Amino acid sequence: MASILTPPREAVDREVAAAISGGGRDARGLAFQTLLLMAMLMALGVLVWLLYSVIDGAVPVFSERSLGDFLSGRLSGSPTRFGVAQGIVGSFWILVFVAVFSFPLGVASAIYLEEYASDNWFSRGVSVLVRNLAGVPAVVYGLLGLFLFKGLLGSLTGGSSLISAGLTMAILVLPVVIITSAEAIRAVPQPLREGGYGLGATRWEVIRTQVLPYAAPGILTGTVLSFARALGEAAPLLIIGTATGLLTSSGGSVMETLRGKYTAMPMLVYVATKRPAEKWLPLASAAALVLLVVLLVANTAAILARNHFEKRRS
Amino acid sequence: MTRSQGMKWVAASVAALSLVATACGGGSDDASDGSGAAADLKGTIFVTGSSTVEPISSLVGESFNGENSGVDITVEGPGTGDGFKKFCAGEADISNASRTIKDEEKELCAQAGVEFVELAVANDALSVITNSKNTAVECLNFADLYGLMGPESDGVDTWAAAKSLGATTELPDAPFKIFAPGQESGTYDSFWELAIKKTAEEKLGKEKAEEKKLRTFGGLADDNEIIRGIQSADTSFGWVGFAFADQADVAKIKVDGGEGCVEPSAETVADGTYPLSRTLYIYVNKAKAQESKALQAFVTYYLENGAEFVEEADYVPLPEADATAATTAWEEFLAGAGGEATTTTAG
Repeated sequence: MASILTPPREAVDREVAAAISGGGRDARGLAFQTLLLMAMLMALGVLVWLLYSVIDGAVPVFSERSLGDFLSGRLSGSPTRFGVAQGIVGSFWILVFVAVFSFPLGVASAIYLEEYASDNWFSRGVSVLVRNLAGVPAVVYGLLGLFLFKGLLGSLTGGSSLISAGLTMAILVLPVVIITSAEAIRAVPQPLREGGYGLGATRWEVIRTQVLPYAAPGILTGTVLSFARALGEAAPLLIIGTATGLLTSSGGSVMETLRGKYTAMPMLVYVATKRPAEKWLPLASAAALVLLVVLLVANTAAILARNHFEKRRS
Repeated sequence: MTRSQGMKWVAASVAALSLVATACGGGSDDASDGSGAAADLKGTIFVTGSSTVEPISSLVGESFNGENSGVDITVEGPGTGDGFKKFCAGEADISNASRTIKDEEKELCAQAGVEFVELAVANDALSVITNSKNTAVECLNFADLYGLMGPESDGVDTWAAAKSLGATTELPDAPFKIFAPGQESGTYDSFWELAIKKTAEEKLGKEKAEEKKLRTFGGLADDNEIIRGIQSADTSFGWVGFAFADQADVAKIKVDGGEGCVEPSAETVADGTYPLSRTLYIYVNKAKAQESKALQAFVTYYLENGAEFVEEADYVPLPEADATAATTAWEEFLAGAGGEATTTTAG
């Protein structure tokens, strides 16, 4: 019995002796470490190269125009006037939809799945479904948006409008929000809940005062990752349709804006790559750079917010 | 986090976000406020269709909006075919097109009760291009083009092999690599119509020619991709709209339509000597134009001032006669638009 459960004494001795007498020269370990380092450097290299090529491509734009001019410029047929203001506004509204619909719906679903639903075939089925939905390509959600929001509900949404785009993006990121929130809630230590119950708190009180505050940083991180996805996705917008040549607006109520035509940051990058490359490709790089900076700012804000919540937790 | 703290945080972030929104919105309005011209026209105009024509319509729209800031104009360019689908469903006021409307598209419009006016707005040269190193090919005639790209030429993999199909120019014995638009593109159709169709119908008969059109090749969806392809292979072959060929480092091949070799340029397109020039159109929904003074004014503005923007977008303005014909067709419609429209569907 003992010989099965514990390795033979001599073998252990040999290993220990080798580890000591090797003087730290663990050749295979070193090779493995080098391999890992190289993998990391390669990944980093690709990233740096991407950043470099985007910045390098954008240089001609910013040497001819001021940053403010490019940021305040609108969609245009002229490469000297083309700018990203409308893309920023459009992407901002899409994020509002994501924040208003995906965040509460996603977090609520996650709380239900983790805290209320009993472990039966239904809840397991829903979990599997949500996981699979998170892996569905964006184009497919675009088709959903096309049929549902532009087709069936077209008279309400206004067709190829901000509402259609925003709701489609909200649905697109919903599974991601649910999954990441559920993971964060699952990571809350069980004793925390039990302590709450022990003091006579109801389930709702435990969730509100113990579970959610503890899970908040995790939920936030996941949500912001999903924001980043909604910000960068072009495929669903291509299918639903956006303005690509010109978009002028004489203003109007918020509702009119939402039911109106729109464009978004990733679409501007796409549009610029379709035009004659000589003059337009630098604009595509410049727009991509703006998109990257916006993403970076969003992610930084998320990290700061997470740290803030984490500090409160401890 | 206490409740009041939470509320403050939310309020602060909402305020910050709306500041961003107004700041951006404010910036985007500047262009339209500057002009101070009469802005009593109100309405929305939605232009869809060809991505080739999109820059022209965008430039016209931008300028029109500068004078009429009350008119909201959206221009998109999903392609001529997709554009007609939307246009015939009544979704759009105007459809840009890099070719005339097809019979089945007319059918679609008729079924939905959408009547339209067809107006020519510019000319474009289909520029046949090759790598700038490929100096052996300078000029091709229609027989050569048929030998290289016609419906029978599927096995032709060197330039010289086109001879077996009737090519008359001495062509190099070098790989023939095609980088050209795919079938969904209006530019594919234009090349077929202008360069191959006549020869193919003479050789194969109408039906057989129409069935296959061009030889089989992997079509590219993006003009910049075509340019990059052309640049990547020494003896490449392809065609793109004038704007793309003009601004890139590729060699334009002259085309001989029976009266000598002609290079595509603004002049040869304008005087009609370049054999592969095509007309770009806008199609205007009649019912919508009758209802909307803004749309009427926009189209009138387009026809009056279009030439300037056509050149800015690197296309060729219409010759005088064609421009006048378009203006006349539009004025006839406007004259009838006051009462019940009596003009018949153009096309």
